Amino acid sequence: MTDAIYPQIRIVPERLLNPDRVEKLMNLIATTEGVRRILLNGQRLPATVPYGPARGMENPHPMRKTIKVGDQELELQVHVGTILLELENRDPLPAIRAACDEVFAELSYSIKEGRFMKSEPSLADYAKYGPDADKDIIGMADPKSKSGPVILQGLK
Amino acid sequence: MAYKPQYGPGTSIVAENRRKYMDPAHKLEKIRDVTDEDLVLIMGHRAPGSAYPTAHPPLAEQQEPACPVRKMVTPTDGAKAGDRVRYIQFADSMFNAPSQPYERTYLEAYRFRGIDPGTLSGRQIIECRERDLEKYAKDLVNTELFDPARCGIRGATVHGHSLRLAEDGMMFDMLQRCILDKKAGVVKYVKNQIGEPLDKEVKVGKPMDEKWLKAHTTIFHSLVGVPFRDDKEYVEYTQRIHSLRTKYGFMPTE
Repeated sequence: MTDAIYPQIRIVPERLLNPDRVEKLMNLIATTEGVRRILLNGQRLPATVPYGPARGMENPHPMRKTIKVGDQELELQVHVGTILLELENRDPLPAIRAACDEVFAELSYSIKEGRFMKSEPSLADYAKYGPDADKDIIGMADPKSKSGPVILQGLK
Repeated sequence: MAYKPQYGPGTSIVAENRRKYMDPAHKLEKIRDVTDEDLVLIMGHRAPGSAYPTAHPPLAEQQEPACPVRKMVTPTDGAKAGDRVRYIQFADSMFNAPSQPYERTYLEAYRFRGIDPGTLSGRQIIECRERDLEKYAKDLVNTELFDPARCGIRGATVHGHSLRLAEDGMMFDMLQRCILDKKAGVVKYVKNQIGEPLDKEVKVGKPMDEKWLKAHTTIFHSLVGVPFRDDKEYVEYTQRIHSLRTKYGFMPTE
């Protein structure tokens, strides 16, 4: 792991996105050269009702769907509202902007540059991954959940 | 001169709506027709058509202590019959929903009797005797105070008020209690307010359009509606209250 700081961007659309639109955008972004890590953020959609009188009941939700990015199937666990990307350098930015223009069409969106992803392991990360955790994995999946990040086939 | 309540300050349409809804003399415009049975299903406190369970015997059958206040206050129908206390809770989107929690509590206090409202930032609960509740809930759902897409009847897991809307214009709901039927353009509840699936879908009507929402909202919003700062009178009033309550501990004079 080098100490290089890779540029990160945050894509915020005007509305929370349907799975088909996320799938379309992800496929465009995943085929763009120079994207290192992708993080889909949003409101969590649990499979069962987590609390209240109906706790433990099934929670069917039309936004919790399995999408296909490249050859990889990916189960959405959130209603996607924000997309974070880490890039190798700033070169892929125009391609990402073009992909957003194409996919969001009638929706407005904003792209911001900054530091958005977790950079240091938290206590929960330490408990799960140990002292020598790979910093690329930190923050890519909820350390308390059993599922890990999805690894897409690279373009290199 | 008799006291005439002013209800609230402001010159904007939002302020105007707030006053209008609070004023019991203003008859709320009826927009949809959700039946008693449908509402009972959505609230999920009892099976439709079943008798009201009671918490105590009817007032007529029990010995009341000699109390001047009890003589003065006429009990509501629910209290008279000894009904249980039950609730309905609403979450309102900040994207131009017709009501918002504070507004709901104010208007209920002006319009209804025997209620216990609970006001939180993104949701508002109203508790009262069961048969009174059904009567009040009908007013709250069938009139201009409600919009099927921007207001939700949610007993638990209420989050959605401050979030962006979904692509179809519905407020986020983790339990997806109501869905927009795209063919018919109607919102229907498929779960009751705590998230248990309903045996039959309950239709609550079409979502209102943006123009209607803007004309009926009671929420300021700088991006999609009327910005708070544009209502000078409201800002002045709020600042005055803020200033007075800050100074109150020292010397409350102007």
